[in-house]
Amino acid sequence: MAGDGLWGSMAAIVEVRDLHKEFRVFLHRRGGLGALRNLFSRQHRLVRAVDGISFRIEPGELVGYLGPNGAGKSTTIKILTGILVPTSGEVVVAGRVPWRQRREHVARIGAVFGQRNSLWWDLPVIESLDLLRHIYRIPAARYRRNLDEFESILGLGEFLSTPVRSLSLGQLMRANLAGALLHDPDILFLDEPTIGLDVVAKERIRQFILRVNRERGTTVILTTHDLGDVERLCQRVLMIDRGRLLFDGQLAELQRRFGGERELVAEFAEEYPDPQVPGATIVGREGPRVTYRFGNGAQRPDGGVTASELIARLSARYRLADLSVREPEIEETVRRIYEQRLLDRE
Amino acid sequence: MRSLRLYLRLVGVCVRSQMQYKASFLTDLAGTLFGNAITFLSLAAVFARFGSVGGWRLGEVAFLYGLVEMGFATMDMVFSGYDPGYFSQLVRRGQFDQMLLRPVALPLQVLSSEFTLRRLGRFAQGLIVFLLAVRLAGIHWTVAKLLYLPVVFGSVVAFFGSLFWIGSTTCFWTVEALEAINIFTYGGTEMLAYPMHIYDDWLRYLFTYVIPASLVVYYPALYFLGKPDPFGLPRALSFLAPVAGAAMLLLANAFWRFGVRHYQGTGT
Repeated sequence: MAGDGLWGSMAAIVEVRDLHKEFRVFLHRRGGLGALRNLFSRQHRLVRAVDGISFRIEPGELVGYLGPNGAGKSTTIKILTGILVPTSGEVVVAGRVPWRQRREHVARIGAVFGQRNSLWWDLPVIESLDLLRHIYRIPAARYRRNLDEFESILGLGEFLSTPVRSLSLGQLMRANLAGALLHDPDILFLDEPTIGLDVVAKERIRQFILRVNRERGTTVILTTHDLGDVERLCQRVLMIDRGRLLFDGQLAELQRRFGGERELVAEFAEEYPDPQVPGATIVGREGPRVTYRFGNGAQRPDGGVTASELIARLSARYRLADLSVREPEIEETVRRIYEQRLLDRE
Repeated sequence: MRSLRLYLRLVGVCVRSQMQYKASFLTDLAGTLFGNAITFLSLAAVFARFGSVGGWRLGEVAFLYGLVEMGFATMDMVFSGYDPGYFSQLVRRGQFDQMLLRPVALPLQVLSSEFTLRRLGRFAQGLIVFLLAVRLAGIHWTVAKLLYLPVVFGSVVAFFGSLFWIGSTTCFWTVEALEAINIFTYGGTEMLAYPMHIYDDWLRYLFTYVIPASLVVYYPALYFLGKPDPFGLPRALSFLAPVAGAAMLLLANAFWRFGVRHYQGTGT
């Protein structure tokens, strides 16, 4: 049965256990003689791109795979899609080992690698998609139905007869997404799906991904640098750095534990000379408008306060006219995690 | 059958996109035709001066030359995807990764990703030389010879195609060896266009026993031209062309599979 994993789970669609991938990076000698020596003896150094990663993904999940450049994201995706063979570890995707059953495996997945085009450069979009129909042996009725649906959601109609080489970056991504889904894959792998796109194009792609995940139940695994993608799309986040899995859980949980401090802007009814309050620090003052910074226990030695506690303390001491609370940016949180290696200490 | 239909469909795409640039296609075609015609004229000039090469007259050498040219041109067109220069680009630009993501056999995808139609120019020139040669050499045609000719032609295509295929596979390790491979394929055509017995022993042994090039061109030609083997080897050697061609393809395919596994291990 599909999904009957090696370690007894029936439900997971992706199972990864203790995955390792090492690369030998060859040191190149320069010059004519160097090239000759490169051919015979090559010095190399070992790079651990993926260094013991385990996780499982249930059908229908939409998972974000995050990490800085060179963290091992693309390597993992390439292993899951069957392009690369790992050094060690076990991977089962929809009941198959990707690199052992390459053709059966790729017939059931869809993949779009950001800024890599998989359609025929000189052909109009519609003819490219038609070739995919033959490659994936998609029954005519299902092809028609999927094409109609993608045409309306992605707005393919406006460039269906344009040669692929003349498409804008956003159109190219839309066409490639449609191409990756025509054969109703169980899983969709996206590597940087919104890279280089403008705000409107990004939003369109995100809506489409959400819809495919919700309405078709397609499991989606995406890598991205754009935390907007993550906030908008992902229920669950896997964060890796230096080939190791640092965090696996809800985005909100990540934010709660590692988010920077929040800010509260209070507008007082009158101007106070020194409107201090325990648990918060004043970081800005402009007449009766005062900005406080406060945080929860994880960030403050004194235990911290919640927003409602802080508001209660303020209103007990001063006369308030207006209030607003600013959440820390998720980008900020993630940057802090990487820079200060917050997760490494756990 | 299904694979063949898919192959033809994909090749059709390559051909049509070349037709989009019709003017450039026609100039290319004329250019190759003209360029190769000059090569042949210089060959003819050699004969005008010396009368024969290693005891072979113009018609007989032209037979070899025409056969090799037609075979190489056809191969260069059909195996365009495995042209090492093209294939190394495919790998470097990540298009080979895209092929790994398609549920279709990899050689089919590579072969159908490029189909250089303008090689027809070189083929046409080879054909003209070949037809001239057949007249000049006064070949005594039999049914057996007529049946064997396409087999030899196919073997020549398979032989050179295998060299391309092997050459492309080395791109999984290094692109630095590319020039060395090109010496074999392009140099091979030049060499095979002359009778083998004019070369030194070591070179002849290399191209008979190690890389069985003379089995697909020289020995079959002895049979067509009704010439005895100057080295007194058995006549059966003339009929080993398909065996040599098929063996080279099998070897190339085995090496290719090994190369793909290496690529998937390193992802260079």
